Amino acid sequence: MDLAPGNVKELGHQVNKDLLIEVKNLDLIVPVFHAADRQLMLNPTRFFSDLYFSRTQRGMTTLLQDISFKLGAGERLGVVGANGAGKSTLLRVIAGIYKPTSGQLAISGTTKGLFDISLGMHPEATGLENIYMRGLHMGLSLSEIRSLVKEVVGFAELEDHIDKPLSTYSTGMRLRLAFSISTMIEPDILLLDEWIGAGDVHFSKKIKARMDGLVEQSRGLVLATHNAGLMKRLCTKALVLDKGQVTFEGEIEDALDFHNTTKKPNQNA
Amino acid sequence: MLKVHTDKKLQSATNLLYATWLQFLIRYRRTLLGPLWIIITPALFIGFLGLLYAEIGNIPASSFIPHLAIGLVFWTLINSFVTNSTVIFIHGKAQILQGTLSIPSIIMMNIFTNILTFAHQLIIICAVLVYFRIDMSAYAFLSIIGFALIVLNGVWLSFVFGILGARYRDLQEIVQAVMRIAFLATPIIWMPGETGRGGVLGIYLTINPFYHFLELVRAPLLGASIQPISWIVVITITLLGGSLAYWFHRRFSALVPLWI
Repeated sequence: MDLAPGNVKELGHQVNKDLLIEVKNLDLIVPVFHAADRQLMLNPTRFFSDLYFSRTQRGMTTLLQDISFKLGAGERLGVVGANGAGKSTLLRVIAGIYKPTSGQLAISGTTKGLFDISLGMHPEATGLENIYMRGLHMGLSLSEIRSLVKEVVGFAELEDHIDKPLSTYSTGMRLRLAFSISTMIEPDILLLDEWIGAGDVHFSKKIKARMDGLVEQSRGLVLATHNAGLMKRLCTKALVLDKGQVTFEGEIEDALDFHNTTKKPNQNA
Repeated sequence: MLKVHTDKKLQSATNLLYATWLQFLIRYRRTLLGPLWIIITPALFIGFLGLLYAEIGNIPASSFIPHLAIGLVFWTLINSFVTNSTVIFIHGKAQILQGTLSIPSIIMMNIFTNILTFAHQLIIICAVLVYFRIDMSAYAFLSIIGFALIVLNGVWLSFVFGILGARYRDLQEIVQAVMRIAFLATPIIWMPGETGRGGVLGIYLTINPFYHFLELVRAPLLGASIQPISWIVVITITLLGGSLAYWFHRRFSALVPLWI
């Protein structure tokens, strides 16, 4: 069982002004666990047998298969596909979190993905400490973080609450802070897993403005979304994923048509 | 907004040290005495058990308590390296999946956390050495080398146990069970005999790697001599572990995000 990404040719961070991302024949094959028994908890005595005698089975599953595409400077790629088609996985591969099993991946510039932005916050820490913590994790120096704090706090509209522990925040406040922290630095290549938008009407507008700003200032964008309108507004080209494979690559309108005609009727995403 | 130009794969040590320090601050936020608890807990243990066991074993407290204090504090360091390693990547799941912290960065933070805890407890050793007026010569500084070797072993343990622990969650349970036994099998709350280091356990003590690690740091502080076998065992383990960690990192580190 060769799991290691031994045959991946890392082209690394080449200085190429025109090509931001180049993916060639990329595969991602991962180990998975299956519960051996699907009839879990059928009756109380099963608790005993399931806990002590059921053996999980290990197998392999292919998350991405033979993916190839290019993203040039100034291009914005929209990725469509049904739930579980591999959109988020592809973004994480581009972000360098998952290493491809085989194939080539070349990225020039810094990438930053806005994934699970609320995760990794410390509930016991104050808002300010959370800003510092995330900043340090992102590799910013103390003085860089200090210069950002005012803007982050101002944007999140937290005012005096910034000195209180996160556990005392309302859901909205927490989201505003998470968003504000996550977008405090601008990457070259922005990776978006669904558009971030929530909160009250007023804050939604601010989020939209900042997201538009981020997209505008980035040299390239990869956006995974179900939202056709958003894609038409932001992207310059599109990719359709189905079960980890690229089934279509080209113009947005064509891609959306292709996606709508091929998706199963019971999926309304 | 700030424009980042460099893609920092491995972050600067200062940054991670600050992050570790901040984590410490947050952890003890709601306690009254804060990180003093790191000192109080072992100090109570050493105070009470030291006097009690000195009485039971009929050993003078002035020789048993320094032995116990140094042993326990360094054992805590070794133990935290071994046991914390098994869960570091599971605890760092959010940061790994967001792409904010790399595997080596998480390991470095783990090393810093353990050293920071140890730095607090070092006060106990100093207090005991001063109180019992242990004579120390320049030879005592040799234990710094022992300390460095423990930290180096912590690095390879973090890689190997961290990766294994991400894949097999059983590891944490096994390691905890083994470390509990090892604590009692290593001369910390008992002394290995007055003359021949080994005492009742004799030859069996030499197959306990933890004993050799402790000897390298404890013997110089107490003015005892270190047997050559201890150096050989510790340096061999360090080299073998280091190679194992290198291989594990190259082969399996990329799979950690998939396992956690």
